[in-house]
Amino acid sequence: MKPLEVINPSTVQEASQLAQSNGTPTNLIAGGTDLLDEIKEGVVRPDKLVNLVSLTEMQGINVKPSGLDIGAGTTLAELASHSDIIRDYAALAQAAESVATPQIRNVGTLGGNLCQRPRCWYYRSISFLCRKKGGTTCFAALGENKYHAILGGSDCVIVHPSDLAVALISLDASITLSSAASTRTMPVEKFFAGPDVNIMAENVLTPGEIVTSVSIPALPANSKSIYLKAKERQGMDFATSSVAVALTLAGDVVSSARVTIGGVAPIPWRATAAESVLVGKAVGNVDLKEVGEAAVHRAKALEHNGYKIRLTSGLASRAVETLLSQWR
Amino acid sequence: MVGVRSHVTLNVNQAPLDIEIDHRWTLLHVLRDELGLTGAKRGCDRGECGACTVLLDGKPICSCQMLAMQVGDRQVTTIESLGDSSNLNPIQQAFLDKDGGQCGFCTPGFLLSTKALLDSNANPSEWDIRNGLAGNLCRCNAYGRIIESVKEAARLIAEG
Amino acid sequence: MAYNVVGKSVPRYDLPEKLTGESKYAGDIKLPGMLHAKVLRSPHPHARILSIDASAAEALTGVHAVLTPFNTPTGRVAPDLAILDTTVRFVGDEVAAVAADSEDAAQEALASIKVEYEVLPFVTDPREAIKSYATAIHSGGNLIGGEPLILSRGNIEEGFAEADLVVEESFTTPAHAGAALEPRVAVASWDGDRLTVWKSSRGVHADKLSLASALQIGQENVHVIGPTMGAGYGNKDETRLAAIVSALAKSAGRPVRLELTREEEFVAGRKRHSTETTVKVGVKNDGTVTAIHTITLMDTGAYLSSGPGVVRRAGQGALYLYRCANVQYDGYLTYTNQPSGGSYRALGAPQGHFALESTMEKVAEALGMDSLEFRLKNHVGPEGQPGERITPADQIIDTQPVEGGVPFSSNGLQQCLELGSEAIDWQGRHERNANQSGSRLRGVGMGMFIYRGGPGTPTNAWMTLNADGTLQVTAGTMDVGEGNSTAIPQMVAEELGVAYEDVKVLFGDSDITPEAPITSGSTATFSTGQAALNATKELKSKILAAASESMGMPANNLEIANGVVKAKDGIASMTLAEVAAITGQIRTEASLTPGSTDFIVNSFGAHFAEVEVDTVTGNVDVLHYVAAHDSGNVINPQLATNQVEGGVSQMLGFALTEQMLTDPGSGVTLNGSFLEHKGATIQEFPNIDVIFADVYDPVGPFGMKALGEPPNIGVAPAIINAIYDAIGVRIHDLPATPDKILDALDRKEREGRA
Ligand SMILES: Cc1cc2nc3c(=O)[nH]c(=O)nc-3n(C[C@@H](O)[C@@H](O)[C@H](O)COP(=O)(O)OP(=O)(O)OC[C@H]3O[C@@H](n4cnc5c(N)ncnc54)[C@H](O)[C@@H]3O)c2cc1C
Ligand code: SF4
Ligand code: FES
Ligand code: FES
Repeated sequence: MKPLEVINPSTVQEASQLAQSNGTPTNLIAGGTDLLDEIKEGVVRPDKLVNLVSLTEMQGINVKPSGLDIGAGTTLAELASHSDIIRDYAALAQAAESVATPQIRNVGTLGGNLCQRPRCWYYRSISFLCRKKGGTTCFAALGENKYHAILGGSDCVIVHPSDLAVALISLDASITLSSAASTRTMPVEKFFAGPDVNIMAENVLTPGEIVTSVSIPALPANSKSIYLKAKERQGMDFATSSVAVALTLAGDVVSSARVTIGGVAPIPWRATAAESVLVGKAVGNVDLKEVGEAAVHRAKALEHNGYKIRLTSGLASRAVETLLSQWR
Repeated sequence: MVGVRSHVTLNVNQAPLDIEIDHRWTLLHVLRDELGLTGAKRGCDRGECGACTVLLDGKPICSCQMLAMQVGDRQVTTIESLGDSSNLNPIQQAFLDKDGGQCGFCTPGFLLSTKALLDSNANPSEWDIRNGLAGNLCRCNAYGRIIESVKEAARLIAEG
Repeated sequence: MAYNVVGKSVPRYDLPEKLTGESKYAGDIKLPGMLHAKVLRSPHPHARILSIDASAAEALTGVHAVLTPFNTPTGRVAPDLAILDTTVRFVGDEVAAVAADSEDAAQEALASIKVEYEVLPFVTDPREAIKSYATAIHSGGNLIGGEPLILSRGNIEEGFAEADLVVEESFTTPAHAGAALEPRVAVASWDGDRLTVWKSSRGVHADKLSLASALQIGQENVHVIGPTMGAGYGNKDETRLAAIVSALAKSAGRPVRLELTREEEFVAGRKRHSTETTVKVGVKNDGTVTAIHTITLMDTGAYLSSGPGVVRRAGQGALYLYRCANVQYDGYLTYTNQPSGGSYRALGAPQGHFALESTMEKVAEALGMDSLEFRLKNHVGPEGQPGERITPADQIIDTQPVEGGVPFSSNGLQQCLELGSEAIDWQGRHERNANQSGSRLRGVGMGMFIYRGGPGTPTNAWMTLNADGTLQVTAGTMDVGEGNSTAIPQMVAEELGVAYEDVKVLFGDSDITPEAPITSGSTATFSTGQAALNATKELKSKILAAASESMGMPANNLEIANGVVKAKDGIASMTLAEVAAITGQIRTEASLTPGSTDFIVNSFGAHFAEVEVDTVTGNVDVLHYVAAHDSGNVINPQLATNQVEGGVSQMLGFALTEQMLTDPGSGVTLNGSFLEHKGATIQEFPNIDVIFADVYDPVGPFGMKALGEPPNIGVAPAIINAIYDAIGVRIHDLPATPDKILDALDRKEREGRA
């Protein structure tokens, strides 16, 4: 590791100012579980790290009648074990619990999870100067791409690695970003941006901008959510595919559905076609196979990841089936 | 080449330690290479194996994947605080009796994860044990004996 | 036989210190003035190094030595391996090394070394590599020996002519890494002309020879110490790393330490060789096997390492597991520009048995026979294989014979098949898994195996009665985590009539222990244990002789029990300390070449698995696993169980999830991490029943046979056959990852529809 300086700001405002770098390579560091990996690999070479861990403004889970406010510095372990989240926002608790290992969950934060960088092995290796790092080639497109995208990839076929993002989008969460100058709030879904927007980033953060919190509206009465994650091994693994579903029933009829799939596209992917298959159907009339097929509508495989289409489709059917069965 | 350095106070095994550290050092580096606490092992240096597990305010973390500068005033507990070989604590005794280790490289990490687990759940189910220890790899795959050891440890502690 | 110490689950010898963090592994060694090294590695899969300009690196403050192929001793670490070479043969091959004040400083210094390469054509596919026109990776061509290793008994053409049915199937297995949790570490320090090296090691004496050869110094000037070992699984028998630090330490004039990063471990450590195997089996309608022909193409990567031994062992199952007069094995071993293969627990046997036992399952199916019944009918029996003995009567029988006509010293394979099938309820499997519906389907599978049983190369051991009455067993072997430092003192204590705790162990230091081979081929406990036992017998008679004189009683009236010499019929007694007070220190030494001139000494086993395949996710969950082993008499049941369970769980990775991947375009290793090379975690660990057949081997010490490696062999066949039973698709290419299972299901459904 090359020399670097860790700076401990005392407010978000100060952190943002420090992070605006002015020419010095600077990164924000929260738990560091993702960033340190990149620094040790030499993929990121900052001179300065702005430490977010001690910012009390970004801590804590606030439960209100209208929903939840979660500080970006909240650890994944806190999310996974919070009784209100487990009860009312099951998909989020399940997604948090599915991340990595107990050790990583005790340190890794919500903000870091949403802002973590892709796991594409070409991106993570200094042997390859790929497009995401300013090069001209996507090595994955013609190389080993079994973990890559079946949707939404073009110049860069990464999949977004965050489990939480998938659940949060199905829970219709919004995210707040602060900089020294301003604060803005947007749906989590709008926070992520694919390679067509900016191939060097996965979201709309501008320099110096910090994710400070995430809010989830209280779900309408008679709603439930679920997160299912497929991985190659049960312990410590990223998703080869994941599905978050939130459903609301009016009587016996699905009145609202949000389906998001993960591990399959450069951003967490809203499966709107699957949602329209669900909405308006009586519970007994939901065609699970149709839901699954709709979830992978327009998916296109690379050389080694054709299985993801079948997998995602099956997982989406299973998620809806499992969720509906909870009403019985 | 010379890194930025600062004086910090780290709380290691109940004792405050004043030490000058290079900002790029991980907690694992400080423990092993500066403080000589070599019980925490470096298996991957990437947060993927748990050999470097220590407790931070009682919770297991990978000391390799945290900068020492970020530790602050939190309490660090290492294997060296548990018990020495002539005076094993109940968790260590259980691992000895049930052969919860082969080469032993993963063992300090498993013991600390076990301590955190049993501190918060005195009577864990097998499912709890597997989940609680899921961040510790044992490449000898002594998992079967490790699970037995944790059950035995819970029993020994309950007996007092 | 009733023993006091043997057969008891005494605690692992060195576990207490491991539980407290007090154990010193190579990485924990810190010497005054010690420098830290880093290695510059090749970015090219194949290139010639034309020049290296290290002046900028040398000029950096904190840098004390830079080693390049142009200033390195030119001796050989192995016949095809230099300390540093002017040709690099895989991405990650060693180019240069730096010793500096800190790892960070050494790492940054690497960036300022300028290397001029002439890039050469490269080949990473073994099928391409053996073609005559392929680029040669070493002089002499890529196919090792220029021709395949061909081993045969009888005549396969005749055998196939007799057959009513011939089945032929092909399989591949990937490279996967042993990936011991402890990375390779070496520390070197010179005292004048004398070198001391601490390293993670499988054999300090072999390391000493290799280092002396590489550094071109006398063996007497090399001292190798193997501290506590964070496991090897057959790996860590190389000395290149140690040679590099030794040369750096010489040039810097200070001790130097080098620890590989986890990624370097995956790239530059040694892997299980990838293979492609075709098995052709001829059978009669009644199930008699008439011929077996097996062809294996194995990739040793950039360097030979233990490749010849591995390709040999890949054929042994096909040559010897089934009773058959006509067998042939063709083993092709080739260099490629892939990271190097090496020894990994059970060498080629898992690859060979996977192909063999998958094919035999097909054969049984084609015959309409239950596959357990087929194996009970055809497994090799105690009498051995048909044919004539070729080995002269006074010579020790190879543990991997090809010839027939030689019986086994013991053979509990049938017991393993019977006990194991009972434990998994083989007979009830179809009934309990009938009419399955939904997306999770269960199935049961099995496989059996044969493995060399323990006798290795010549070895030595010493027994010492110290002047204070304490006892010590000394051997040059290493405990690589498998527990020989527990089993050997158990045997010694039993023989001598003392408590296990009374025998101290000194292993793993080339200066103060006698020559011993590396801990390999599951031979350490068997061979070194036998030597220790012989030395103990001699020590015992010396103790009794001394006691006899002092007590005035004939020696044959005396015995040792509970650490005290006493008269068999009286009350007179003497402690060992009292004997030692008279005799002073006594040391006895034993040397031997283990083995038998009359019998083949082999271990056996049969593994059974019940799995559940999730047809939505492609995940395979192992619900119940039964591992039945004939390893002779079991010296320490708890350690043995741990060893078997560990091997099974380790090889679930080989069967289901682990694989080293290199980028086809560049040869760069893509997944050199525990996250991406997906070994089993505690979440995957199945419910395992370990069964030991009731066998007491007449050749092995206290009736034991090899146990270290056999657990690794039966896993892939049992799992893959169980997957087939569950979902009707056969995986030919390991690992059986979800993508392969889902793709195979897709194909099956499409064919079903068509
Ligand atoms: C072994 C291992 C396994 C893993 N498995 C999974 C998995 O299965 N699923 C999964 O989702 N993740 C996984 N991860 C990624 C894990 O790092 C994240 O889940 C974790 O939440 C990151 O949080 P952090 O606080 O440590 O982030 P950091 O490493 O501190 O930061 C990550 C990135 O986000 C930026 N950042 C952090 N906080 C903010 C903020 N508030 N505002 C703006 N930018 C910010 C940083 O600059 C950095 O670029 C794994 C990681 C490891 C090491
Ligand atoms: S998928 Fe994206 S990150 Fe990966 S190689 Fe292609 S451009 Fe780079
Ligand atoms: S060394 Fe820290 S997790 Fe492996
Ligand atoms: S005992 Fe060797 S890694 Fe766990």
